[in-house]
Amino acid sequence: MAVDVVDATLFASVDPVALRGSVCAACGAHVFPALESCPMCAGVDVADVALPTQGTVWSWTTQHFEPKAPFRTDGFAPFSIGYVDLGPVIVEGWLVGKTDWSIGEHVSLVLAKAWTDGDTVVHTFGFEVTA
Amino acid sequence: MSNEIYIVGAARTAFGRYDGEDNELAEQAIRGALADCGVAWTDVDFAVGGTNGETKPDNLVSRLGLTGLPFVTVKNGCATGGVALMTARNGLIAEGSDIACVVGYDNHARGAFNASPARYGIGEWYGATGMMVTTSYFALKIQRYLHEYGIDPITLGYASEKAFDYATAHPYAWRRKPVSVAEAMDADMINDPLTRFMFCSPDAGAVSLVLARGSRAFDLCETPIRLAAVELRGRRPGSFEVFSPWLSPGDRTSPSVDASAAAFAAAGIAPADVQVAQLQDTESGAEIIHLGETGLVAHGEQQAGYVNGDFRIDGRIPVNTDGGLLANGEPVGASGLRQVHEIVRQLQGRAEGKQVPGRPRIGLTHVYGAPGISACTVLMAEGA
Ligand SMILES: [Zn+2]
Repeated sequence: MAVDVVDATLFASVDPVALRGSVCAACGAHVFPALESCPMCAGVDVADVALPTQGTVWSWTTQHFEPKAPFRTDGFAPFSIGYVDLGPVIVEGWLVGKTDWSIGEHVSLVLAKAWTDGDTVVHTFGFEVTA
Repeated sequence: MSNEIYIVGAARTAFGRYDGEDNELAEQAIRGALADCGVAWTDVDFAVGGTNGETKPDNLVSRLGLTGLPFVTVKNGCATGGVALMTARNGLIAEGSDIACVVGYDNHARGAFNASPARYGIGEWYGATGMMVTTSYFALKIQRYLHEYGIDPITLGYASEKAFDYATAHPYAWRRKPVSVAEAMDADMINDPLTRFMFCSPDAGAVSLVLARGSRAFDLCETPIRLAAVELRGRRPGSFEVFSPWLSPGDRTSPSVDASAAAFAAAGIAPADVQVAQLQDTESGAEIIHLGETGLVAHGEQQAGYVNGDFRIDGRIPVNTDGGLLANGEPVGASGLRQVHEIVRQLQGRAEGKQVPGRPRIGLTHVYGAPGISACTVLMAEGA
């Protein structure tokens, strides 16, 4: 089966996986996904940057009911999402591998299966407990 | 000419499910508010209407009378009511006119709001992967807040219990069945740490207010309530808003912090002077956070406040005395004006539900919503 990602613009690279953010030359702010301008200082001199791939859980919740469309899934089961503190920026994403989390847990960026589309397995980014 | 603006008339419909037309609901509220102060539609100089639905508020003139008055429409999500009130206040002052009418209404279908990523400038991936969900946002925000300030999750149960207790006595609230702390905590989990009894639902309702300039207010109303401040603020860096794929590290703030501080400054009071308050409680956690962000309670002191009964009708500062959003639901356009309506009634000593004893003189209202806006008012009874 072919492998794809939900949105290629989210990634600086897929293997090894890294998220593509942007950094502001004027104030140093990092944002995700990458933007064309800086919402923190209103600067326009920004460049793409690969974000750190390790961080800590900043907040979390488990989604106990199936979200409405445009949510896509091959079959719903409760799943966790969280904010992960990567240092220069806090990124929202799936927390994979379990549904009960604690703030402060060390996690690493991974690719996680989101749904299948014909012969293609579509992946999104997520974070799992650091081995 | 005095620029002091007073609320002289106030009326609301019952909140809940409504089968009729949106405009019919709005008309009921407007006619109620006009009757409350004996003002005729033909005497209204300026009108403002807010709804998040499909109807056009300015078309209400076809029901009320084609008097030729300027009628402004506002649409600012959960802050619609606050923005409508501010627009009416500003309109009266700028136009040098005497009487304004404000209405907010909505008639939402059952179920959680369905949000589209494109409307918020976010990629389709965000919705497709199940992150474009308002309940998870609220859960993520309160989860962090409880952790940061060492507040036990049972405080969420106390907030729900209090809301439904107030609502049991309020004839226009939607959900009037009491819920115990244990029932709230043990109910189905929606998004950790929030259960089914900790969220409000979209519903139907309308609220209207009549405003008058100082020179006219005392002829129209025995106990006009002065609009001492109405302030609107947007988000700055460090705020934590719905549908945010990223947050900046460092100190957190909120438009609620800025709007409430601006309202207190404009009214010349401190948070400690507030005797009755209405705070945005889209879910139980929001009330806890907003108690802290408005400065009514120090961050981290909320749990003790609920346990001591500080926010009950005979407590230090009664909060959401009509049951708040939790018990009234959220017709988005009406919700902010419902808050003002309740405070006006409390300050006039004619609350429809539980009346704060000892005739409070200073009240606060606070709305907050996507994509990071807050509006606060300070209301004062004469002599305050
Ligand atoms: Zn910048």
